[in-house]
Amino acid sequence: MQEIKRKYVVPGDKVIEGNFRPLMNVIKAGNSIIATRIGIAETGRDGVKVIPLSGVYIPRVSDIVIGKIIDHSSLSWEVDVNSCFSAHLPAQDVFGRDFSPARDDMGKQLAIGDLIAARIIAFDRTRDPMLTIQDKDLGKIPHGELLKISATRVPRLIGKRGSMIQTIEQATQTRILIGQNGIVVAMGRNLDGIKLATRAIRMVEEEAHTANLTQRVKALLNVPDSPQTEGSTIIQRPNNQKDEIQSTIEEVEEEIEGEKI
Amino acid sequence: MSQAKNLINGSGRRTDGRTADELRQIKITVGVVKNADGSAFIEFGRNKIVAAVYGPREVHPKHMALPDRCILRCRYHMSPFSTDTRKNPAPSRREVEISKVMRESLEPALILEDYPRAAIDLFVEVLQADGGSRCAGITAASVALADAGINMRDIVSACAAGKIDNKIVLDINDTEDKEGGADMPVAYMPHLEQVTLLQLDGILTPEQFNECLDKAIGGCNMVYEIQRQALMQKYFGNETELKEEQ
Repeated sequence: MQEIKRKYVVPGDKVIEGNFRPLMNVIKAGNSIIATRIGIAETGRDGVKVIPLSGVYIPRVSDIVIGKIIDHSSLSWEVDVNSCFSAHLPAQDVFGRDFSPARDDMGKQLAIGDLIAARIIAFDRTRDPMLTIQDKDLGKIPHGELLKISATRVPRLIGKRGSMIQTIEQATQTRILIGQNGIVVAMGRNLDGIKLATRAIRMVEEEAHTANLTQRVKALLNVPDSPQTEGSTIIQRPNNQKDEIQSTIEEVEEEIEGEKI
Repeated sequence: MSQAKNLINGSGRRTDGRTADELRQIKITVGVVKNADGSAFIEFGRNKIVAAVYGPREVHPKHMALPDRCILRCRYHMSPFSTDTRKNPAPSRREVEISKVMRESLEPALILEDYPRAAIDLFVEVLQADGGSRCAGITAASVALADAGINMRDIVSACAAGKIDNKIVLDINDTEDKEGGADMPVAYMPHLEQVTLLQLDGILTPEQFNECLDKAIGGCNMVYEIQRQALMQKYFGNETELKEEQ
């Protein structure tokens, strides 16, 4: 791993002085880079960013989110994605290009109150997020236990290369879907398993910024600590949580796309 | 302005035993309101104030939304039991004014352009008042905003200075405010070194004004350290430096 300098910051703190590229949650003021959020500042080769530890979900293009249908017009569904912007799912995305509002009954496909896994295909400062469910593993979520966690805890819940969520899934015999917007759905036949998974997820949310969390989650789930599954990347180092928080959005997406949903 | 009694005694102590440059005891707790996105509780001497931040969230009514940035809505309110005699809970002229100045003192620190068409709601509830509650409110609100994870250029710290017995002192309390010569609340961004609120009630000479402002800014810097510590404590515990590994 190349050299990455990390430090704790609060808004207004100077992260570093010099000619660096501001990446995320930082602003450039004169010759220095200033943090704009509470979190862990990282200065790497490609620039400076702050990994936030608090905040609500702000949509980003290509995020996978879990949302609830709250309304529909004649051409699109309105979806609550746990953000200050409500998202839209065009009817053509579900019915195909020959969608006709007169012929097709939107309520039959997705009713108000339904839960969907979707990807954000367009979002900018002027437009509300636009969703699609046309992809592998996207679409209506038929059943499951719904949980809301802070969106900043999502990378931690997934863990490095999915380690945390895999541990929880295997130990509780459940399938867990995680949206980048902090909405989590636990599914499975075993009710006790879902209960246990819920407790583990809550524990990860509450103690996300503490060290050795994977060990404690394993203790809660009665999983023996196996060094093989952990690998050499996350073993009891004092700040292993920073490695995990680091899991980039891309990694997280791969996890969700490839395995979880 | 006439003064009924001596507010500074022979040994230079004020009515509550402080020296001229001494702040009251300040304690800030972060994250006290479970349902809020960010919150803080401040004890500023005998002031007890809760600040809660909700948002960024959808704007209702929708016509208030701005296309290019977020709106900040602020409500400063004193509980009926916060004062000696019961206070009518309806917003008074004073509360409306403080809500406004509080909003205006926090807006420069927030990067509102990052959240277009959204709103941030800030509620500041005074549970116990003892002079300087707007400064304590701004201080708590700023911590709550940082706790809510809203992009900020800097944290806003606030502190008052004033004149009692013709002497400039830091952090005026209720008695000193009522019986003293002048009260100057100041809100300040310590890193940017910019003043976001400056009010003055009373009469000061230009020299006294400068001295008072300098003293208040010094107080803001002290308040900032407490704000920073409170935030650090909540998010990183007692660790202040990240240990390097690899």
